[in-house]
Amino acid sequence: MVSKRPVPAWAVIFILLAFTASMVGQRRAKPVAKPAAAAIPVVKQIGDEDLRALIKPGGKPLLINFWATWCVPCREEFPDLVVLDKEFSGKIDFITISLDDLAEIKRDVPKFLNEMGAKMPAYLLKTADENNAIAIVTREWKGGLPFSILYAPTGETAYFRQGKIDPATVRQKINDQLAVK
Amino acid sequence: MKRQSTLFCCLLAAALLIACAPAVFADVIAIGSKMENFSLPNTSGKVSTLSDLKGKNGAVIVFLSAQCPVVRGYNERISRIAAEYEAKGIRFVGINSNATESLDWAKGNAAENYKFPVLIDKGNLLADKLGASVTPEIFLIDANNVLVYHGAVDNDRSGGNITKPYLRSALDAVIGGKKVEITEINAFGCSIKRVGDK
Repeated sequence: MVSKRPVPAWAVIFILLAFTASMVGQRRAKPVAKPAAAAIPVVKQIGDEDLRALIKPGGKPLLINFWATWCVPCREEFPDLVVLDKEFSGKIDFITISLDDLAEIKRDVPKFLNEMGAKMPAYLLKTADENNAIAIVTREWKGGLPFSILYAPTGETAYFRQGKIDPATVRQKINDQLAVK
Repeated sequence: MKRQSTLFCCLLAAALLIACAPAVFADVIAIGSKMENFSLPNTSGKVSTLSDLKGKNGAVIVFLSAQCPVVRGYNERISRIAAEYEAKGIRFVGINSNATESLDWAKGNAAENYKFPVLIDKGNLLADKLGASVTPEIFLIDANNVLVYHGAVDNDRSGGNITKPYLRSALDAVIGGKKVEITEINAFGCSIKRVGDK
């Protein structure tokens, strides 16, 4: 006859702790299949000097898209930009710079980026004079939005476009840069 | 036969190349050059020429848009400057070259915001000729139709912190018979939506 002895309290606590630890370990190792609502993108405010620093050559081709939530063609082309970002993730640096009013930095700008599923680093440029910013980016920019520019790893302008981009053209220009040894 | 087909292929390739080439804007009219007379219909369909509309001391040709928020931010300032300088012999002429804006839209916007005429540049021919690419964008000509300033109204689209009133300075120089100091500065705003833009 087997006698039924009560399980000691320390053993119960030990088992519970071990179980909890194993669950935590599992979560770290394997992300949950269905994530909670996506985090709202953080949009960082920058000024002219920050812009200058961002444009400094960093070893990879750099693609910058200047846009604004009030700019219809900017909104229209954004899905193409998101696709390009996914396609060249890790191969190029890609940032977006909004020229919206500062008041939109926590409202419409992150809201739109979230809707688009945009993952590229997002900035909002607050400048006292748009011409300063234009001069930093390229003299070829005539001041219209949207404006996209691709810099070579050396910092030279490889491609720019005022108005909506043609994704195939941008893809080709990026591949050209990536092919340069 | 073989020769003909080769020629056909070459022509086809050339045609495709032309069709696929990106839109190239005409060069911007140079400062110091004379602006040619042009004629365009206003929002009621009446055709006017630059000569009809310009003032005795010159004219400001301003490219506008009914939907561009940057233009909306400038509307009050542009109207104020227009009223002030009309009394000094400068007339403002608005141009709407946006292929995406209907005549009704442009007409309603003009009636609501401007006392000066707004002309409809169907097919953006004038925009192409002058090299205008954004709204609002200014071309100031003197009494002899010579382009003396091209670019932005000022350096602050919000209007709250204007430190460089480019257009006013140029207008004052023209009226005073002096040399315009800053003749060109990029205008910031919405790209003009041209025919054929996707």
